[in-house]
Amino acid sequence: MIGRANPVKDRVAFASAATTGFRRDESEATPESLALDACIAAIQAAGLGPAAINGLIGADAEYMQSALGLPHLTYWNGPGIPFLSSVANGVNAVHSGAADVVLAYHSAYRTPIFSRAAANDPFRSMSLGTFGSFAHRGADGFGPDTVTGAVGYTAWASRYLHEYGANREAFGAIAINGRSNALGNPAAVLHDPLTMDDYLSARMIRWPLGLLDMEISVDGADACIITTVERARDLALPPVLVHACTQGMLAQNEEDQSPSLREHGQHVVVESLRAKSDLWLDDVDVLLPYDGFSFIALSWIENLGWCDPGQGAAFIADQWDPAGNRILIGGRVPVNPHGGSLSEGGTQGSGHVREAIHQLQGLCGARQVPGATTALVTTGGFFKNAQGCVLRSDW
Amino acid sequence: MTTIGDRELVERYTGVALDHTNKDFYRGLLQHELRLSRCAECGWWHHRPKPICPRCWSKDVRATAVSGRGVIHLAIFLHQGPPAPGVDYSAGPHPVVTVELEEQTGLRFTSTVVDAGNVAIVIGTPVELSWIERDGRPFPVFRLRSAAA
Repeated sequence: MIGRANPVKDRVAFASAATTGFRRDESEATPESLALDACIAAIQAAGLGPAAINGLIGADAEYMQSALGLPHLTYWNGPGIPFLSSVANGVNAVHSGAADVVLAYHSAYRTPIFSRAAANDPFRSMSLGTFGSFAHRGADGFGPDTVTGAVGYTAWASRYLHEYGANREAFGAIAINGRSNALGNPAAVLHDPLTMDDYLSARMIRWPLGLLDMEISVDGADACIITTVERARDLALPPVLVHACTQGMLAQNEEDQSPSLREHGQHVVVESLRAKSDLWLDDVDVLLPYDGFSFIALSWIENLGWCDPGQGAAFIADQWDPAGNRILIGGRVPVNPHGGSLSEGGTQGSGHVREAIHQLQGLCGARQVPGATTALVTTGGFFKNAQGCVLRSDW
Repeated sequence: MTTIGDRELVERYTGVALDHTNKDFYRGLLQHELRLSRCAECGWWHHRPKPICPRCWSKDVRATAVSGRGVIHLAIFLHQGPPAPGVDYSAGPHPVVTVELEEQTGLRFTSTVVDAGNVAIVIGTPVELSWIERDGRPFPVFRLRSAAA
């Protein structure tokens, strides 16, 4: 059963967030060097120093503590992917008192599997990158004949087209929205406008999803500082309160055993968030649905209840802002204003979280949502990693 | 039907993570039987193999042959993908289907479809189990039921 209690509501806050920005050219960065750059920027943006950090959430926390020279840690833990797992871990650590100030970070790193430029770098030949070895692994020894892993989204996208009589333009609208938004984000890796013709003529990878349905591999990192609301109020930037935060998973969490398009991890997240949050869709000023695949973001929009299942394409067409060539729900709420994984860079959700924090701190420059006070971030997909949080300003 | 011993089984599946929970699934494949996990107490099927029944927690879970009949539930076509013997992406997109088996709603098995053009491989189409050889082992695949009749 899904619980309703939420004692952590508005008690823990983000004090800051920072990014390295994203690139896909040749570079001498490592996953660790990127994470370190983002961490230093996040610590400094909060007006803190290394001695203040006593919790650390991310990959290889031991190395990171040593490199950053953080004198004493009382709590650390491995990364959660997508990034809201790390956030939930940090929020829980602060609320429990396991740590006072948590630094959470995530780096994206191109490997030879995903990037030609990376394949030309001999020092990347041994790198497993962010995802370790499970990318492209033939599950069960079945080689290509599996839908385990990322392929699972392609498989259920085929079901979506079948059940709702939709066509690929439904996914294309998500890709175009992301690209249009990335034009206003200097940190984004892709800055060329995208048309539906471009989308439809892009290389097919695994029908029904093609090259532009899939996040773009990048080098880059994000980091954020999580602490109590009281502490955050004394720091350099306006606090961003964690109003509700949840993960969601069903018993049938294997990709090909998932019950249906209307019953998977996203639905657990939505039910849990609705139970824990006083703020919901009408309150939201900025929406950040995970778009590691375009289809995942389309599904979030439907499953959150912005429209009925299968009506995503019609809803998006109805909410389309021709001037910005992007979604603007109710003429007001942008979707992934940073460009998302599809066009800012594939960050496994850390970009979505960082953008939400920056929007609520008023730091987004030309793409700032005027007066934004509430953000809904839903990262992850259907099977093993759906997550969501509602963030609000300290009004 | 000869029984395949544990050592031979592990040798035949070099590189695949066999264990005491999934060994009888793979042993079945070598004998051209698709054996999925079924609870001997409550009758519930599940896949992939687990040492207990997720429905009643009985430990009496047995690798049990399925009929192999079902309906295509998910269907994708790989224009590129991991290499595999007999799979030639340059010859055309390679189909991968998840089939809902007739034994139980939601019990599904994923493989490819043989002897069918991709245009005929459509969600909702009835299929049945068939076998090819891959890496010197029997490999379970599906065939459109109308074509096999």
